[in-house]
Amino acid sequence: MSEPLLVVDDLRTYFSTEEGIVRAVDGISFTMEPGQRLGVVGESGSGKSVTALSVMGLIEPPAGEIVTGRILFKGQNLLELDEDQMQEVRGGQIAMIFQDPMTALNPVYTIGDQLMETILLHQDVSRSEAREIAIQAIEDVQIPNASQRMMDYPHQYSGGMRQRIMIAMGLSCNPDLLIADEPTTALDVTTQAQIMDLMLQLAEDRGTAVMLITHDLGVVAGFCDDVHVMYAGGIVESGSIDDIYYNPQHPYTWGLLGSMTRLDDAQRKRLHSVRGAPPSVIDLPKGCRFRPRCDFATEICGEVLPALRDVGNPGQRAACHHAEELDLKSMTAGEETQEPAVSEGASS
Amino acid sequence: MLAYITRRLVYGLVTLLALSMIVFMLLQLSGGGPLDRLRLNPRMQPVIQQLTEQWGLDQPIWKQYVTWLSHYVRPSEFSLHNALPIIAIGAAAAATVAIGKFMKAHWKGALILVVWIVAMYVTFTNLTIKFDWGTSFQGAGDVWDLVFSRVGATFRLGFTALFLALVIGIPLGIYQAIRQYSFFDQLGTTGAFIAFSTPIFIVGVGLQLIFALYFEKWTGVKLFYVAGMNSPGYSDMTFWQKLGDTLQHLVLPAVSIALISLAGYSRFQRASMLEVLHSDYLRTAKAKGLPRSRIIIKHALRNALIPVVTLISLDIAFMIGGAIITETIFGWPGVGRLYIAAIGTVDYPVIMAIVMIIGIGIVIMNVVADILYGVMDPRVRYE
Repeated sequence: MSEPLLVVDDLRTYFSTEEGIVRAVDGISFTMEPGQRLGVVGESGSGKSVTALSVMGLIEPPAGEIVTGRILFKGQNLLELDEDQMQEVRGGQIAMIFQDPMTALNPVYTIGDQLMETILLHQDVSRSEAREIAIQAIEDVQIPNASQRMMDYPHQYSGGMRQRIMIAMGLSCNPDLLIADEPTTALDVTTQAQIMDLMLQLAEDRGTAVMLITHDLGVVAGFCDDVHVMYAGGIVESGSIDDIYYNPQHPYTWGLLGSMTRLDDAQRKRLHSVRGAPPSVIDLPKGCRFRPRCDFATEICGEVLPALRDVGNPGQRAACHHAEELDLKSMTAGEETQEPAVSEGASS
Repeated sequence: MLAYITRRLVYGLVTLLALSMIVFMLLQLSGGGPLDRLRLNPRMQPVIQQLTEQWGLDQPIWKQYVTWLSHYVRPSEFSLHNALPIIAIGAAAAATVAIGKFMKAHWKGALILVVWIVAMYVTFTNLTIKFDWGTSFQGAGDVWDLVFSRVGATFRLGFTALFLALVIGIPLGIYQAIRQYSFFDQLGTTGAFIAFSTPIFIVGVGLQLIFALYFEKWTGVKLFYVAGMNSPGYSDMTFWQKLGDTLQHLVLPAVSIALISLAGYSRFQRASMLEVLHSDYLRTAKAKGLPRSRIIIKHALRNALIPVVTLISLDIAFMIGGAIITETIFGWPGVGRLYIAAIGTVDYPVIMAIVMIIGIGIVIMNVVADILYGVMDPRVRYE
């Protein structure tokens, strides 16, 4: 692949609040290739959603501000575009799906109206053509009786159906990148699986790159090629699915994997929990941000913020001073289980 | 939906019945009868005797009430000028059934409303109807004629004030919400609180002093009048003079009412708009790449206006009772002044007539508000 689809370079997005400056995203860099499916995982407040909103240009000043950094989308720095140009990108080339489908659609307009609005905005088509495209989009997300359901209002759809509509809306203009911000968090488990399968299939068919933001490692395992693990505004580890799940290099990743429930765990062990709570991103500790919660911290961890560097398998990177010394693969967080936890979703 | 409207109207009827009973009873209980003033003069004894019998004041309360009610609802005059009223109502009824049965769009409520408004208009312009609301105890004549001679003035003032309040208040609220915490927003908020917390008689008298009295003193130009609805020579004026004269009388009282209610509307609109601006579906609209103007006008405004429309409907209902204080300050010949005068002189038939008109207005406008609510918000179902 010649040119990367998305390059995020040293992005810093801060919010000013009464308590101080919230460094929601504090210097992250990553690259996405066309058609790549990238998972961004982390706890609440780790900065994953803010990363997505920054890429979409949806950070609202004066509260939030992108302080430094570049977001190159197909070689073009999105942060340098004016509002008109950014509107072309939003919805047309980068689409976004949000967490709560129950409130993400405007209650007073029909589904058809809201779908056609996007299509008419980004594509040079007539109303009747837009209608055809919208009906096709609804059929693509496997909602039967599409031309009838175009005339229904959001409240006449169930939660899962509405998320399907959001996906249809996102994909209706054939974007190069789809950002899905916790698309299944608000849905029940059965619906979750259906929605993820649908997204996987549609993204694969169209070659759309997807950035999947979630705190659910199981969902990531079934969907993504690569994963970034975020902690307190920074990426602490990144790599392919297999690298992260079978060969974690950062104690935080390792701790997260140990805290997952497993269907094949016959011994009913206590689940591991990463002790403590994430630090306040207003008042970050000196040195490694994970140090207060880390079982392996040493003196240097309190002094120097570790940079993301190549460790482990080729292409894998982690931000830990002790990545080489620790043999996390052979240890299991909490009590001993034979192999690192892999979600049941990994095989699907 | 038809069943819903019918049920609401039946409930409304029960409410009105209860209202009339309570008010009738309270008037009797409040002490002091309409004839007490005459008692100061000993020679009036036979007159008091005669009037007490004539007005039925010697009867038990329930009997007085029943007599009043049976007269109140009975038309004293009724004649059709032609067959149009019957045709209009018949057509409206048929249209309502047809719309209810065959239309799927959620705005059928609006259509029914329009059909009935047109039908009512045609009906009332083609018939003479008058109810026996009694005769004023103060010798002001037939109550029906008396009240309806005042309604025009009240509506002229009320609707002008409402129009001003809406045209200024709603855009103001929207703008304040869009530019939340800006200097303009703070200014608007402060201004709204000052306007809202100033008693109307201070606003009214203040406007009179500044724009009528001192303005004329300083510039020698008579810009506004402080009392009345028209000048004495009104009927001899040309059209433009008439218009000018009307405005000169109307502006100050209308502005005093509008100032206070626009403060209310702008606050309400601001709050409702802010709620919508922070909603998820607005973020979706932004993520679609819609321009800001479209997001505000199409996605935000439509939702933010829903609660305001309800408020407006109810405001219109209260307008029928007239603006008592403003009408008094500006010598405006409206229902409000009639009302307060009737209370002062314990004029039972007039008080009852006005109370009931307000009540009927509120019942009808409540139903209208419900229908409009359903038209604007597709989630609302009439069960």
